[in-house]
Amino acid sequence: MLMRADSNVKPSVLVIEDERDLAEEIRSELQASGHVVQLAENREEGLRAARAGGAAVMVMDRMLHGEDGLAIIETLRNEGNSMPVLVISALSSVDDRIRGLKAGGDDYLVKPFELRELTARVEALSRRAGDARATRLRVGPLEMDLVERTVRRGDRRVDLLPREFKLLEYFMRHPNQIVTRAMLLEDVWNFKFLPQTNVVDVHISNLRRKIDEGGEARLIVNVRASGFKLHVDD
Amino acid sequence: MWTIEVLRARAFRLALAFALTITLATSGAFYLIYLRVTTADVAWVEALLIDESAKSVGDSEDRLRRALDLRLTRDLRRLDYVALFDGNGALTTGNVPTMPAIAVDGRAHLVREFPVPGSNDRTDSAIFVARRRPDGGVLLLGRSLLEVYALREAVSRALAIALAPTVLLILAIGLFFAGRGSRRLARIHNKIADIMNGDLGARLPETGEGDDVDKVASAVNLMLDEINRLLDQLKSVGDNIAHDLRSPLAVARAKIEGGLAREATVEDLRAAMADALDHLDRAAVTIAALLRISAVENGPREKTFEEVDLSAICAGVFDFYEPLAQANALDLTLDAPKPTLVRGDQDLMREAISNLVDNAIKFTPAGGKVRIEAATVDGRPLVRVSDTGRGIPPQERERIFRRFYQVERDGRSSGHGLGLSIAETIAKLHGFNLTVEDNNPGARFELRGADKASLALETARS
Repeated sequence: MLMRADSNVKPSVLVIEDERDLAEEIRSELQASGHVVQLAENREEGLRAARAGGAAVMVMDRMLHGEDGLAIIETLRNEGNSMPVLVISALSSVDDRIRGLKAGGDDYLVKPFELRELTARVEALSRRAGDARATRLRVGPLEMDLVERTVRRGDRRVDLLPREFKLLEYFMRHPNQIVTRAMLLEDVWNFKFLPQTNVVDVHISNLRRKIDEGGEARLIVNVRASGFKLHVDD
Repeated sequence: MWTIEVLRARAFRLALAFALTITLATSGAFYLIYLRVTTADVAWVEALLIDESAKSVGDSEDRLRRALDLRLTRDLRRLDYVALFDGNGALTTGNVPTMPAIAVDGRAHLVREFPVPGSNDRTDSAIFVARRRPDGGVLLLGRSLLEVYALREAVSRALAIALAPTVLLILAIGLFFAGRGSRRLARIHNKIADIMNGDLGARLPETGEGDDVDKVASAVNLMLDEINRLLDQLKSVGDNIAHDLRSPLAVARAKIEGGLAREATVEDLRAAMADALDHLDRAAVTIAALLRISAVENGPREKTFEEVDLSAICAGVFDFYEPLAQANALDLTLDAPKPTLVRGDQDLMREAISNLVDNAIKFTPAGGKVRIEAATVDGRPLVRVSDTGRGIPPQERERIFRRFYQVERDGRSSGHGLGLSIAETIAKLHGFNLTVEDNNPGARFELRGADKASLALETARS
């Protein structure tokens, strides 16, 4: 099966956040990157909007007017609604994160966070719907065989170390999306923290050296102050 | 009031209860003795009287009379009663003018309020035995219980004499201990008041006797030491945070201000904004690291710990950092051939080890070596990260684990200076020790677990 690069139609996002200012910030940031945003202020409103089904992704504050928002996710999951949810929370202990994910949240972001990080994760979530069982990935000139563990760029075979293969696979599953360093650390290396050194950048530049040879176009580009993007023209 | 405090004190109440118990027990013992003595005495008198009356009742009147007279003559203490009544009930001989109201059956009878013969109003309690003679007369033998009552009185008096000082002594001892205890508590109370009023250097008095109060005082003092240490740390952290956040914020502010002040082009403004953003990001990284420490400190506890393999984690960290080491022309090696199993949090352990490796790579100049080892040594898990950098001078080894401390090494110091603090916090959470030693040259960080028993204890305490 093939997983193709997504089209540029951005999914609409439901934001459940009781803090007005933050909600507005999130709205304008998401709108700036092309999403339609729907705001809800409390649990009831949020649940109603989620059931109405207009949104493809939900961003939800863990604490809503002093109540635990995780109940919304649990309710939705019990109703068979599998809309991806990004939980944001001021609770920063590791246990809370685990509880948030167990309750059915798909990703977890701790305040204070960068709005770009939020946007990148919302986009990653909205496209996660893509097929996880694919055995071959193709993005632009890149082709990856997940069974044989081989990669080709056009006709050229690219030899990658296992860690480089994992990294490229992540990019190919999120084509044309901003991928932040934190996302790579969490999803590729299972690191729940940011190292102080530029170790991620070194991994990326090693990978780049192998997939871009000679005069070939750069496929993984830096996105200023955010992270990276596997960029291919549709 | 001091006296009321004493009376309220537990020790005093205990002394009171003790005194009461002693009184009851002693009285009980005396009563038993008294009962034994008096009943034995009475029984002996009764047996004697019955026996004598039975022997002499059949004697001739003359003989009987002489015997009775002799008996009265010998009875210097006037305890004996004897009488011989004829068939008509008239007194023939003896010192009992009228027959007491008892059955003439040869058995012993107790007669109370018996009027003493020869006196007007004195009465006595006595035991009488009456027996009918063959000629129809009645032989009456009796003995006063005066002696028995005297004994009873003596016993009671002895009891009173013995009991009073005992009770007083117990009360005095109770008062003494209660007073001492409450004085000690008052001293502790005063100290606590001092501490609450801000004298954090004050400590509860310990007598060194090792009793309950001492143990509590010593525990509280240890707690105060820890609180003091944390407060000191907090204070210096506060200062450091202010400093570390101020510089990037000041630079960001200057960039924005400069951009606004100039008649700048959009390009200039963009550049200024980008610079400002970089510095704001640096401040954010610092804040994130601080939040991380408190997240770890308030983080998972023993209940969420599972068996993790430190060797496998080291292998993962090695794999992650190898490209960076290559880029810095360092020789990064891994020596973790066997599993090193501990109970812990996988993510946090990975973070701690990564911070050590991150640090080692950062501070080792090109051409140097960084080595990661994991093994179980003497039954204790050990992770060692050694480098060939400049090392850490002995006088600074203590300080590097403090928050925000950075050794100035070759001017290459970068990052937020919290990596080692985070590693140490994680180590502590797991009951591990993080130490640094000389690697000749370079630094050698060791993350060493306690043995199994003390690990359980440490985690239970935390």
